[in-house]
Amino acid sequence: MTESAPAVAAPVPQAVAAPKLKVRDLHFYYHGFHALKGIAMDIPEKQVTAIIGPSGCGKSTLLRVFNRIYAIYPKLEAKGSIELDGENILDPHYSLNRLRSKVGMVFQKPVPFPMTIFENVAYGIRHHERLSRADMEIRVEQALRSAALWDEVKDKLKQSALGLSGGQQQRLCIARGIALKPEVLLLDEPTSALDPIATGRIEQLVEELKSEYTIVIVTHNMQQAARVSDQTAFMYMGELIEFDSTEKIFTKPSRKQTEDYITGRFG
Amino acid sequence: MATDWLYLRRRAVNALALALSTLATLVGLGFLAWILWETLRQGIAALDLKLFTRITAYGADGGLANAMVGSLVIDALGILIATPIGVLAGAWLAEYANRTRLGESIRFLNDILLSAPSIVLGLFVYTIVVLPSTALTHGNTTFSGLAGGVALALIALPVIVRTTDEMLRLVPSTLREAALSLGIPQWKLTLQILMRAARSGIITGVLLALARISGETAPLLFTAFGNNYMTFNPLDKMSSLPQVIYQYANDPGDAMHALAWAGAFVVTMFVLLLSLVSRLVLSRNKVSHD
Repeated sequence: MTESAPAVAAPVPQAVAAPKLKVRDLHFYYHGFHALKGIAMDIPEKQVTAIIGPSGCGKSTLLRVFNRIYAIYPKLEAKGSIELDGENILDPHYSLNRLRSKVGMVFQKPVPFPMTIFENVAYGIRHHERLSRADMEIRVEQALRSAALWDEVKDKLKQSALGLSGGQQQRLCIARGIALKPEVLLLDEPTSALDPIATGRIEQLVEELKSEYTIVIVTHNMQQAARVSDQTAFMYMGELIEFDSTEKIFTKPSRKQTEDYITGRFG
Repeated sequence: MATDWLYLRRRAVNALALALSTLATLVGLGFLAWILWETLRQGIAALDLKLFTRITAYGADGGLANAMVGSLVIDALGILIATPIGVLAGAWLAEYANRTRLGESIRFLNDILLSAPSIVLGLFVYTIVVLPSTALTHGNTTFSGLAGGVALALIALPVIVRTTDEMLRLVPSTLREAALSLGIPQWKLTLQILMRAARSGIITGVLLALARISGETAPLLFTAFGNNYMTFNPLDKMSSLPQVIYQYANDPGDAMHALAWAGAFVVTMFVLLLSLVSRLVLSRNKVSHD
């Protein structure tokens, strides 16, 4: 598969956006395996940053450090610092509850909770806030509208979320994430289990959501990175090879490895 | 040609394997059908209204009403005691102690309890429940339905622990990650999301445990003891179907044998029904989860 400079969404000049996440000298170890090697990058606020690279390059690992979800498994270790609005989230004193209400995550495979559609969105909100029934209904509706799902589910909010299609389930998971009003939204290959139409809807949604959220998306699909992102990071074997505006990465990358990868010569 | 010969040989081996496995299935099913047929044939003489209305005190002219009530009460007690402990222990094993040395040791011990001879559990409950209650109440409460329930709970417990543990571990870890990413704490995740996702599997485990204990005789001999009269009081000596079957089968009278067979038929049908219900619960789950 060869790709010649795909069309790129008009990039916002980098200087305009302030960094939301500042990654410095980040190392990650899986049972002693050195999976991330000194990553340093500034992820700009209210833009879409894509992370690409071949399987096993560490892109998902990097994403999973941003909300410390890796910490649920034993023997995984992150060193270095990631500042979210100036505070180091890798500091053990940084509360996980606070971090995860600020940094939402959507996974590769849609994983709705075994509850009704309404409850799927309300469940997370209820853990963080006490809302009246009416306020809750408004919040759930807002979230479902932002995830472009409201019109399809408004008449069946009381039905099980497991009955929705894969694409709808994934938008429900996005709704569930943004219902907590996070500041950063992490998307881990959010469309790899979806058909092209559902993928299109999610990509359109990412475009709409970036006015409010800082989005980091890991993707296997280079055209997708080109279509949805403002910045693209290319990773290889645990290292950040190149990080620049998406337009630059896909038209005139400065590193040979990046060029080889995006032109399909390896990976 | 060599290839033709190879092909023919493979077909022959395939036919042989198919024939043998079909035969094995038929043998297994045949015995099951035979057991059902035999209990029905031998017990049909006693399968009447009297079986469900009269008590064992009438002997050959009686029924098994008190034994059925006793079985229901003792089995219910067993399940009520074992389910909350078993489900929580299984949840702890799967969610908190998974892949830890302590968790593995407890899983191993649970498997030992799973295969412990039931008569041993009966004797154990005799010494930890029947003897102390006799001493404490100066002989007013000795053997009791409750003691029988405790003995059956010890049999049901490892079954429930094991199925809960396994069903929870079958829930994909992505569901855990999704919930934890929303800031949901581990205990809420376990009780409100994972338990719900594994609900039908856990219910099936409880039903299978109930099926298992409803046929147990040995643990009740030294605990519930038996009673020829109707009682609903779990602190009293209580009768139960398996135990009456055991007694009546040892009796020389033909009428008593027929009653024992009828009782066996009732127990078998009850267990069969439970298995069918648990299959139903599981299959419903499969549809909704895909």
